[in-house]
Amino acid sequence: MSKTITIDPVTRIEGHAKITLQIDDRSEVSEAYFHVTQFRGFEKICVGRPFYEMPTLMERICGICPVSHLLASAKACDALLAMKVPPSAGKLRRILNLAQLIQSHALSFFYLSSPDLLIGMDGDPKDRNLFGVMRKHPELGRGGIRLRQFGQQVIETLAGKRIHPAWVVPGGVTEPLSIEKRDKLLAQIPEVIAIVQKTLAWFKIEFENFREEIRSFANFPSLFMGLVTADDRAGYYEGKLRFTDSHGNIVADKLEAANYADFLGEAVEPFTFMKLPYYKPLGYPGGIYRVGPLARINMVENCGTPLAQQEWIEFRALERGAVLSSFHYHYARLIEMLFALEHIEEYLLDPIITETHARYSASLNNLEGVGCCEAPRGTLIHHYRVDEQGLITWANLVIATGHNNLAMNRGILQVARHFVRSEKLNEGMLNHVEAVIRAFDPCLSCSTHAYGQMPLQIRLLSADGKLLDELHRKSSSGNHD
Amino acid sequence: MIKALVLACGNSLRGDDGVALQVVNDLQKTGCDPATEFRWPQQWTPELAEPISKAEVVVFVDAALDAPAGSIACTHLLPNRSTSLGGTHHSSPESLLLLAEELYGKRPLRAYLVTVAGAAFELEENLSDPVRSAIPGAVERIKALLSVSVPD
Repeated sequence: MSKTITIDPVTRIEGHAKITLQIDDRSEVSEAYFHVTQFRGFEKICVGRPFYEMPTLMERICGICPVSHLLASAKACDALLAMKVPPSAGKLRRILNLAQLIQSHALSFFYLSSPDLLIGMDGDPKDRNLFGVMRKHPELGRGGIRLRQFGQQVIETLAGKRIHPAWVVPGGVTEPLSIEKRDKLLAQIPEVIAIVQKTLAWFKIEFENFREEIRSFANFPSLFMGLVTADDRAGYYEGKLRFTDSHGNIVADKLEAANYADFLGEAVEPFTFMKLPYYKPLGYPGGIYRVGPLARINMVENCGTPLAQQEWIEFRALERGAVLSSFHYHYARLIEMLFALEHIEEYLLDPIITETHARYSASLNNLEGVGCCEAPRGTLIHHYRVDEQGLITWANLVIATGHNNLAMNRGILQVARHFVRSEKLNEGMLNHVEAVIRAFDPCLSCSTHAYGQMPLQIRLLSADGKLLDELHRKSSSGNHD
Repeated sequence: MIKALVLACGNSLRGDDGVALQVVNDLQKTGCDPATEFRWPQQWTPELAEPISKAEVVVFVDAALDAPAGSIACTHLLPNRSTSLGGTHHSSPESLLLLAEELYGKRPLRAYLVTVAGAAFELEENLSDPVRSAIPGAVERIKALLSVSVPD
């Protein structure tokens, strides 16, 4: 008898979603759907607003990765002005982007996913949280907190606020970096690098205990996409788009992000408010691709900083071609944090970083502009059209998490087929399905307002709608979102 | 060691939800002990555990629901695991005290939650009249808490 399982909501992710699993007559999972149940509409909200408001308006999309939206939006506005930014501003923007990557990756790895790794996927859910982590491995807990603090501190030092800063503007940044502030940041870098190195050493032993998850967590051939610089490194702030395949071969290269509509299609489905981008030459849904840490580490030929390069070599030795298991997003995230810290240090040591001319000005020169950067979760594209007065007439946003939508749906199907075997549900089974989503670290939206801890309800229904089994996770009051 | 840490939680774009930000702004202007540190995090997040562990006294200031608008409440807090520690949005003050104690081996000698009950939490930058009127009282309440000497 066929039936449906619903996991609603998915927990320890950013935003609100649910999962539906279809069970066929042989009691096997036949279909899986990842439903993003919130609707945003920022593309419509901004119509009629002056283009120069866009960076501060668009960063409100998210409370975790506002810097990514701020940068992609500012770059789209730079394109409307047809201008470059001063060299110091370019480097300051890059530091800001990398700082956000550190704080966001720290949140994903230490706060959201390390409970699964330390307590176990089948562990008692009462312990599968940060308290469980601190009891079992307090050094890891302290390290995660310190890394997130450092990323946020860099953002606050540069941009004035940890969340929703208005420092990045069309043409550059509003304030240069003082020597005193630079030196304070530089002094902390050896300590935080040591934390990432210790965590990597621990993780490389620990992941051997997750062979089954590595085999089944969205482990399939797909394309990978991301920005790559002219010297073949991951281009977090700049570069051109590259697609590689599961063997590591380059499928398409040096693609201008401004021409994204030529090679990226955006499908929609009735079961979700999140779009499903695909690589046009392979059609829908065959043009499935992945973005984010795993893609970026898979696509490049070198990391470009000494410590991260050593880790990158070790990582790429896991498989002959690309590393395909999405479980290794966690591993890639740690390597990226190391890279980001080394790279921030490089930028801060460049004398240009404290130059005081940090903003150029210009009038509107183009009626259409595209901005692109790598957000922590993958490639982010902002595309605006304006009228002669500079008022927004149309906007399209291709969000990093959206690129992974097809892969997340397929990953849920794979992991559910592996772990959901019987009609009797249990917490560990549910958590495996959620954990594959956590590996992608989707940011469905952090800027919506919510109260309390999200309740969880799973219902197992027969084909005729009869309730076969049900699990509840209670809600509780919380605070500001 | 920080003598006192005062933390304001809230969103100034959601009407009365931002009352704590104003309370702590006004408190800072009244001239507290120089060893008092003020912070305005929008949420209670685990990163606060580290500075909390270094303070002798911590006062969490927040808006509240389910009470007459403008009413001020003060609760003495103890570490408590049963309250929420969601990781990103939902940490409770009690859970942060416990996190401070367990991760850093120290917690404040005294910790309080001071709340001002709100009336309107819609998209609005202004506070409602009863909540605005309650601010001086909330400031005095916190000053009284901070003025109690801590035994060595």
